[in-house]
Parts: sequence; structure tokens; C-alpha cells
Amino acid sequence: MSEMRIRVTLNGAPMELRAEAGKSLLRILREDLGMTSVKEGCGQGDCGACVVVLDGEAVNSCLVLAAQADGAEIITVEGLALQGVLHPLQRAFSEMWAFQCGFCAPGMLMSAYALLLHTPSPTRDEIEEAIEGNLCRCTSYRAVIEAIDAAAGEQRRGGLAAGAPDA
Amino acid sequence: MTVPDVLSPSTLTEALDLLRRHAGRARLIAGGTDLIPRLRLGENRPAVLINLSRVSIPGLRREGDWIIVGAGMTHSALARAPEIRKHFPALACSCQSIGGRPVRNRGTIGGNLANASPAADTAPALLIYDAELRLLRSEGERCIPISELFTGPGATVLREDEMIVEVCLPLPRPRSGASFIKLGRRQSMAIAVVSVAARLTLDAADCAAEVRLAMGSAAPVPFRAATAEGLLLGAPLEEERIRAAAAAAREAAAPISDLRATASYRSRMVEVLARRALYLAWEAARV
Repeated sequence: MSEMRIRVTLNGAPMELRAEAGKSLLRILREDLGMTSVKEGCGQGDCGACVVVLDGEAVNSCLVLAAQADGAEIITVEGLALQGVLHPLQRAFSEMWAFQCGFCAPGMLMSAYALLLHTPSPTRDEIEEAIEGNLCRCTSYRAVIEAIDAAAGEQRRGGLAAGAPDA
Repeated sequence: MTVPDVLSPSTLTEALDLLRRHAGRARLIAGGTDLIPRLRLGENRPAVLINLSRVSIPGLRREGDWIIVGAGMTHSALARAPEIRKHFPALACSCQSIGGRPVRNRGTIGGNLANASPAADTAPALLIYDAELRLLRSEGERCIPISELFTGPGATVLREDEMIVEVCLPLPRPRSGASFIKLGRRQSMAIAVVSVAARLTLDAADCAAEVRLAMGSAAPVPFRAATAEGLLLGAPLEEERIRAAAAAAREAAAPISDLRATASYRSRMVEVLARRALYLAWEAARV
């Protein structure tokens, strides 16, 4: 098994660690970097519980190997709040009952975050497309869609700059 | 999962060299959306993974009457590329139908083809556009039509040291229309029960000058329904002919029963979807 040195930028901070080249980014984030918001559901790219933003795009972290993540810029839920102030998406999710058991929430939030990075004023169809890879077993989809829509509105009104770590 | 060694070349030449040196015991990994789950299931045990994430293959360019697509382009990138949406809408649509957003953001067109799933969503679309594949290995290169790639479920004519580097698409002639329809158990995150792509090119007399009809998940490999195409070629399009062509497509299909659908349901759906796909292509060609 080959171990390698990996450099990533995690939530704005450069990091360097050693990991087996074939270890999943999901396990690196949870076990080596303490990002426990990232959840393992299916481990096969079917459920979206492990979605993080990698170089500006939502990806299933269970389907990225350490060797593939080397050099990437990664954002997880831990990077959303800015100086203790929740990101508009986080606030909308909690205020609008967008999660019940909460297991899908980090993945949903990161899919939504990636959407708003590219599309600040998404249509309902675009919101639905953005979260189609995220399964919610409590079936809170409608509340999730409404929360994303509300957060997009708040961001546009400039209530709070997006909590991008580099903002 | 038993993780093989991962090698990360930084150039295409280096990658091909590694592939030659480890021929027979290595797999290339691009997006990994298909390969990684298979590794975890233990279906596939290569000793070495050759990671292509540092190898840059140009994305998309035009060369005369061709659009050349780099094999490393993701499904998301293809689905939103203006040249693909404009000239190859059925391909854009097939890319958009794959998995969910996070899968499309990683999975590549080269990987979708090399994995050779009978249900590969991009295959029927590439078949109707007469795509050609540029294959590279250390000792040289060759081009093959997409129709010659697949030899069975998970099997291709690719040599052990060979890589798909480009997908070459000839621009369709004017008055062409195309469509892609995927039937799955749900709209996203679903493997196709059946998928059908169609393309029609009309001549000045509104007769079908070119006909393409291709299917996925309907046989051991994605394929073109030649008899069905022949029934429409050179004649004015009309309902009866389209029905006959769809019935011929059903005859040509040899689907299996699996957890997604029975063979008999798939056969019936081939006919229904072929008819719909031909109508949609016809409609698009007349615009």
C-alpha cells in the first residue's frame, strides 16, 4: 500500500498530511481532519450524504481517492459559518425545518452551496437538479427546496456575504 | 476495500508508459464514479490504479466539420457546453441523465465508454452521431468508430495498454434532428431500464436521407437497430413507417431480466421509446 503526502486547502486553510493513496476523501476528512459533518451513507455515490465542494463543484467524497484530492480546494459544512454567524443556507435550513433526522443535511447544504456559487438566482428546477444526488430518508425535500430558495434570496439581498472561507 | 497501489502520472506520455508497463494489472481511474464502487464490491481487483487527475487532455475544440471532445470531460461539462447543446443535443441530454449532480461533476465520457456498461448513457447518443474514438498507446494510435468499441458487458476492443483520449463527433448536416430518452425507475440516480437515441436528417423532399436509431440496456452492448433504420431510409416519414421501425427495433433487442426490469417489459419499452424518439427527432429536424 503506497502512502503519499497530500496537500489540500480545507475551508480556506492549507493542510498537508500523509495518507494511503487509495483512501477515500470521505475517510480522510472524517478521520484525519476531524470534519465529522461529512457522513457516510452508502459509500457508493448513491446517497449524497458525503457531498463536499471540491474546486467549486459538489462531489461525493466517498468516490474521490486521496491521490485524486491532492491539490484540491475543499469546503465542508465546517467552513460555512463566518465568525460564528451561520451561513444563510444554514439559517434557512434550521428555521424552515429543512431537516428532520439531519443525516442528509450536510450533503444537502454543500450541494446547495455549490449551486449558489455558480447560480445566485436559481429557479426551482435548478434547485431540484442541484440536490438530485442527495437522498433524504425523512423525505423533507420540499422544505429543503424552499430553504435553498429563501437562502438564495437572502444572499442576493446582501443580508450576509456568502460564508466562503476566502470571502 | 482492498486498495490497489495508485500511481499519479503528470503527463499523458507518462500515463501511457505506466499503462504499458503494468499492462493487464492496471486500471485507469478518471472520475472513479463507476470504478470505485466496483473496487469496494470486490468485482475488480487491479494491482495498480493509474490516476489521471494530473494528466491534462484538452476539453473541447472544433476542427473543420468535427467537434473533438477530450475523454476527460465530465458529464456536467458536456451537458452545459454550448457546442454540444447546439449540435449534439441528444448527447447533452444523455450526459444530463447520468446519476445526480455530484456524479456528473466527476464522471467522464471516456470512463463511461471504457467501463462498457450495457446501460452506458452516453453510448446510444454517440452511436447516432457516428462518433469516432481516438485511442492512444505508447506505440501509436488508432481511430475506431464507436460502433466497434463494445464487445460484451464490461468488455471492449481496447488493448491492455490503450487509452481513449478523444471522442470525435462529425457535425450533423443541416435539417438534422435528434433525441435521447432514458427510462429509469426514477428520474435521477437511476441506471437505465432502457435508453433510446434517434437522429434523422431530411433531404429537400422531406425524405429521410440519414437515419440512426440506437439503444442501451436492451442487449449485451449498446447497439444500432440497422433493420429499423433501413425501413425509414430514403422515404418520406409517416406514422406507419415509424411504427414499423419501432417494431423492428423491438425485434432487434435482446434484453435481460434483472432487478430493474424484466426482459419482456424492456422489449415493450424499446418499441414505445423508439417510436417516441423517432417522432422527437423528426420534429426537431423539421424546425
